[in-house]
Amino acid sequence: MDNVNAGDDHHNLENDKDQENCDDNPLPDQGEEESDSSEDEVAPRNTVGDVPLEWYRDEKHIGYDISGKKILKKEREDRLQSFLASADDSKSWRKVYDEYNDEIIELSKEEVRQLRRLLKGKAPHADFDPHAPYVDWFKWDDAKHPLSNAPEPKRRFIRSKWEAKKVVRLVRAIRNGHIKFDKPKEEQQFHDLWGDDSSTTEKTSHLSYIPAPKPKLPGHDESYNPSLEYIPTQEEINSYQLMYEEDRPKFIPRRFTSMRSVPAYDNALKDAFERCLDLYLCPRVRKKRINIDPESLKPKLPNRKDLRPYPTTCYLEYRGHKDAVMSISTEANGQWIASGSLDGTVRIWEVETGRCLKVLELGEPVKYVAWNPRPDLPILAAAAGADVLLLNTGLGDGEVQAKIKEVLHVDKLPVTENSDKTPAATWLQDDKTGGIRLRHFKSVSAVEWHRKGDYLSTLSKKLTQKIPFKLHGLPVSSVFHPTQSILFVSTKKEVRVYNLLKQKLLKKLKTGLREVSSIAVHPAGDNVIVGSREGKLCWFDMDLSSEPYKILRCHPKDITNVAFHRSRPLFASCSDDGTAYVFHGMVYSDLTQNPLITPLEILRGHKTVNGRGVMDCKFHPMQPWLFTAGADSVIKLYCH
Amino acid sequence: MDIDGDFEDTSRRVQVRFITKLIAPFKVPANAIAIPSNLTRLGLSTVVNNLLSAGNPEWEEEPFDFLIDGELVRMSLEKFLLAKGISAEKTLEIEYFKAVAPRREEEPSVHDDWVSAVDGSCPGFILTGCYDGFGRVWESAGLCTHILEGHSDAISSVCIVNPGEATNVTLATASKDRTIRLWKYSKDDRVKNPTKLRPFKILKGHRLSVQSVASQKSGHLICSGSWDHTIKLWRTDEHQSEGDVSIKKRKKNTQAEESQLEEDSVATLDGHSQSVSSVAWPKHEEIYSVSWDHSVRRWDVETGNVLFNHVCGKALNCLDIGGEGSSLIAAGGSDPTIRIWDPRKPGTSSPIFQFSSHTSWVSDCKWHDKSWFHLLSASYDGKVMLWDLRTAWPLAVIDSHNDKVLSADWWKDDSIVSGGADSKLRISSGIYVL
Repeated sequence: MDNVNAGDDHHNLENDKDQENCDDNPLPDQGEEESDSSEDEVAPRNTVGDVPLEWYRDEKHIGYDISGKKILKKEREDRLQSFLASADDSKSWRKVYDEYNDEIIELSKEEVRQLRRLLKGKAPHADFDPHAPYVDWFKWDDAKHPLSNAPEPKRRFIRSKWEAKKVVRLVRAIRNGHIKFDKPKEEQQFHDLWGDDSSTTEKTSHLSYIPAPKPKLPGHDESYNPSLEYIPTQEEINSYQLMYEEDRPKFIPRRFTSMRSVPAYDNALKDAFERCLDLYLCPRVRKKRINIDPESLKPKLPNRKDLRPYPTTCYLEYRGHKDAVMSISTEANGQWIASGSLDGTVRIWEVETGRCLKVLELGEPVKYVAWNPRPDLPILAAAAGADVLLLNTGLGDGEVQAKIKEVLHVDKLPVTENSDKTPAATWLQDDKTGGIRLRHFKSVSAVEWHRKGDYLSTLSKKLTQKIPFKLHGLPVSSVFHPTQSILFVSTKKEVRVYNLLKQKLLKKLKTGLREVSSIAVHPAGDNVIVGSREGKLCWFDMDLSSEPYKILRCHPKDITNVAFHRSRPLFASCSDDGTAYVFHGMVYSDLTQNPLITPLEILRGHKTVNGRGVMDCKFHPMQPWLFTAGADSVIKLYCH
Repeated sequence: MDIDGDFEDTSRRVQVRFITKLIAPFKVPANAIAIPSNLTRLGLSTVVNNLLSAGNPEWEEEPFDFLIDGELVRMSLEKFLLAKGISAEKTLEIEYFKAVAPRREEEPSVHDDWVSAVDGSCPGFILTGCYDGFGRVWESAGLCTHILEGHSDAISSVCIVNPGEATNVTLATASKDRTIRLWKYSKDDRVKNPTKLRPFKILKGHRLSVQSVASQKSGHLICSGSWDHTIKLWRTDEHQSEGDVSIKKRKKNTQAEESQLEEDSVATLDGHSQSVSSVAWPKHEEIYSVSWDHSVRRWDVETGNVLFNHVCGKALNCLDIGGEGSSLIAAGGSDPTIRIWDPRKPGTSSPIFQFSSHTSWVSDCKWHDKSWFHLLSASYDGKVMLWDLRTAWPLAVIDSHNDKVLSADWWKDDSIVSGGADSKLRISSGIYVL
C-alpha cells in the first residue's frame, strides 16, 4: 500500500504529460508480446539481476542500466500528498510499486482479472477450457499387434524381498542403538597439547597402559626475549662454573632481538635422547591415591563463639613481687587473691583494682599458698621451706577475727600427745605473724585444703602426711575430692585415689606420662586432669576407665599447673613456655555422653625468666576469669 | 552550582549556612557561603574563626564543634554527606558550638594513697576518698580544708548527701571496713591546717566491704551496695529516730568527746548473686544497681521489688543515670566498653550506644548534669574520656594520670575531677558543655 501511494502522484503527473501519445503504458487490449516489447523499450531498465534488493536499499541508485550507468532512485512524494492523491484517484488500487525498477505500474483491468483467476487456481486465460473433449490421436483400428503382449510380471504385485530385508536390518540397528536420531557426534578437532594425560588412560582399554609423563613446559626464562630479571649477570654465570655438574643450570637465558636470530639449540638431540632413555628405562607405576578432604578428618568441635564467656584478654596486672610468683590462690568470694613468691613474701591483692593489700614476710621462698575454702574463715596456708604456715589475713569483721584467733591458737597439749608417735609435723604457734607453724622434716611443696576447710594435706620431699598408704615414688601433687572423702595423690607416674573414710586405695589412674606435675579435679568429682612435664595434658573420666580419656599435646614445654573453674565448663593449663591455654570441658550429667573438650584460647603475655614461664593459674571463683602467676614476678588477670 | 566539581574533584564545593545558639560575639553572618567539601572539623573551625575575626578585629581563636542533622562532624564534609546520604545540592545548615574539651589543667592535689572516690556534685568543694582511710574536702586545686577521720580501712565510695544546701552539708563515705560513716561539713574560715572531722553517725550492717554509696535526692536516705551481695538503705538524719534501733556510744579517745550514733539499716534489697559494685538513686522511689553477676537492676524502694533486670554479659563496675529525660543507664565494667541502655524501650536488651575507645576496664562513668549528650568515663588505662552521644569518637581524652583512674566526676558543670592510683586528684577545667 505504501509503495503504491508513494509512486502514485508521480505516475499521475506522467500520465498527464503523456496524455496525447499515451504509448508508454501498455494498453490492455494489446497482446502480451507487444506489451513485453514496449516494456523493453522503456528507457533505463535495471540490470542488477537476481540479487537481494536490500543491497541497494541505502544507495542512491537502484542499479545499472544496460550501458552500465547508475539508475538513480526517483524522488518519493510526501506521504500525506500521496494519500490524498490516492483517495482522489479511483484507479489507485490498481497501482503497484515495482521495487526492482523503482516505478509504479498501473495494472490494466485484464491483468487484474488474470490475477484473480490465478488466485482461484484456474488457468490465467479466460478462454482456456480445462474440460475440452478428449481427442484420441492414436488410431487403434489398423494396428495388428499391441505394443507389448507380455503378461504383467508377478513382482508387480508382491512386496520386494530385499527391501523388506533392508527394513528389518535398519529396525534392528535402531533397536540395538547403532543408529541414533540424536545430535550427530561432535568430533574433537584439536588434540589438547597441554592437557593432562591421566584422562586418556580411561579411554584406552589396556590395563597396563600408563601414559608417559609430559616433559616440563618451557617457562618465561626460556623465552627468546625474557624479562631482565631472568637474565643472569656475568658474575652469576661465572659462579656456575664453580658448581657441581649436576647443580649447574642446564640452560642460561639469553635475549635475542627477534625469533630469527635465535640459534639452533645445541642439546636438542641430547635432550630428546635422554628423554627417550628415561621413558624406556624408568618403570612407570600408577600411584594409588585416596582422595579424602582433610577437613573431614578434623573432629567436629563447636564454634568458639558459642562457648563464650571464657578469658581472652589481659586487662589487669598485679605488680609488686620481687621474684617469681610460685603460687596464687583465690578467696572463696573472689574479692581477694593471695600469692606466694620466691622473694619470701605472701601478698594479698584486691582483685578489682590490683592493689596490694598486705605483704606478709615469711623469710623463706614461698612455694605454695592456699586459702581456706570457707568464706567465713579467711585463713591462708602458705608453704615456705620446711614449714606450712596458717596465716591470719586480717580480713573479716570482729567476730570473724575472734574466730580466727581461736582457730589459730595452739595449745601445748596436742604436741605432747603426738610426741610419742613421732608426728609428721609439729604444730607451733608463730608469734611473728600470729598464725600456726607446722614444721615438717623436709621442704614442703604443696598444701591443699579439704572442701570444708577442716583438714589440709601437705606434700613434702619426705612423705610426711599422715596417710596410712604406701606410695610408690615421691608424691607430686594432691587434691581433695570436691564432694566426697576422697584424696587424689599423684606420684610421678600415676595417680592414686584413696578413700579417706575407709582408708582404702580406690583406684590407680595410669597416666602413661613421663612425669606428672599437677592435678586438678572437676567440681563434679568424676573427671580429673593431669598435667605433665612433657607438655601433655591428660583428661581422665573416672567412670570410663583408668586410662586417659583424652591426651592433649598443647604445650611445647613443661606444664606447671592445671585448674578447673568452679562453676563453668572451663579448665586451663599453664606452662613454662610462658603461655596458658584455656579449654572448654563440658561434662554431661548423662553418663552415656562423653565429655566435650574444646581448646579455646592461648593466653600469652608472660615473659620467660630462666626458662620458667607461667608458674600457676587459677580461675576466679565466680567470673570466667583466669589469674596467672609468672616467673616474671607479675600476676595477670585475663577477663572475658 | 556544582559545575566546577565536574572536572576537578578536589575543589568540589558545598553551600553551607552556619547557625549557632551562642550569643553575640560568637555569631557569624547568616548568609550561605560555598566552602570546599573536603574540609574537616579543623577546616570548618578555621572558616568560622575567619568569619568571626573579619567582623571583630580582636578575635581570639576558639575551637568549635559542628553538628549536621544531629550528628557531630568527625570526618571530611564530603565523606560525611556521602555516609549520611545528605544531598550536597541544597544549602547545608551547620550548627556550631564551642568544642567540648578541657582548656586548663589545674595543679594536682596530692594524697597519701590511691584516690578511690571523688564527688563533685557540690560546686563549693570536692570530696575525695582515699585508700589511707581518710576522706578529704578540697575547696580548690591543692587546697584541702577538711580531713574526715574515722575509717579503719580504705574508703571505696563517697557521696555528698545534700549538695543543694549551703551550710551543714552531710557527707557519706563507704569503706572496706564494712561501715558507712556520715559527716557534717560546713564551710568555715581559712585555716592553715586542714580541720579534722569526726563522723556523727556510723552505719554498720554490711558483712563485707561496702563498694558504693548513693543518696536520695531529698537527702533523707542513702543506699549502699556491698560485696555481701546486698543493697542496704540507711537513714541520714542526726536525731535518734527509734531509741531501740540505735545505741549511743561515747568515744573516749576523741578529745572533743563527740557523740557518735550507730545505726542499722532501714531495709535490705536482696537479689544480686554477686558483689554489688555500684548504686545510683536518681529518682525518689527508684534505685539502680549494677553487680558483678552481670546484671543491671532497678528496684522499687517502697516494695523492694526488682522492676527491671537486665543481664549484660560482663561484670559491671560503675553506673550512672542521666541523659535524655535523665533515664538512660550508662554502665562500664570488666571490659573497655561503656554501654548505654534506654530502659523506656520495651523488649530491647541490647545497648543503644556502645563506646569502646578505652583499652582497659572502665572504672567510672558520669553523665553531665545539664546536658543530655555528654558523659565522661574513667578507665584503668589511665585515661578519662569525654563522650557525646552524637558521635562514636571521644570528644576529648584527658591523659594526665600516670596510673589507673579509679574515679571521676563533673564539678561545677565545666570541670572534670578525677582521682587514681597515682594518688593525685586532677582537675581539668574550662569545658564549655552548654
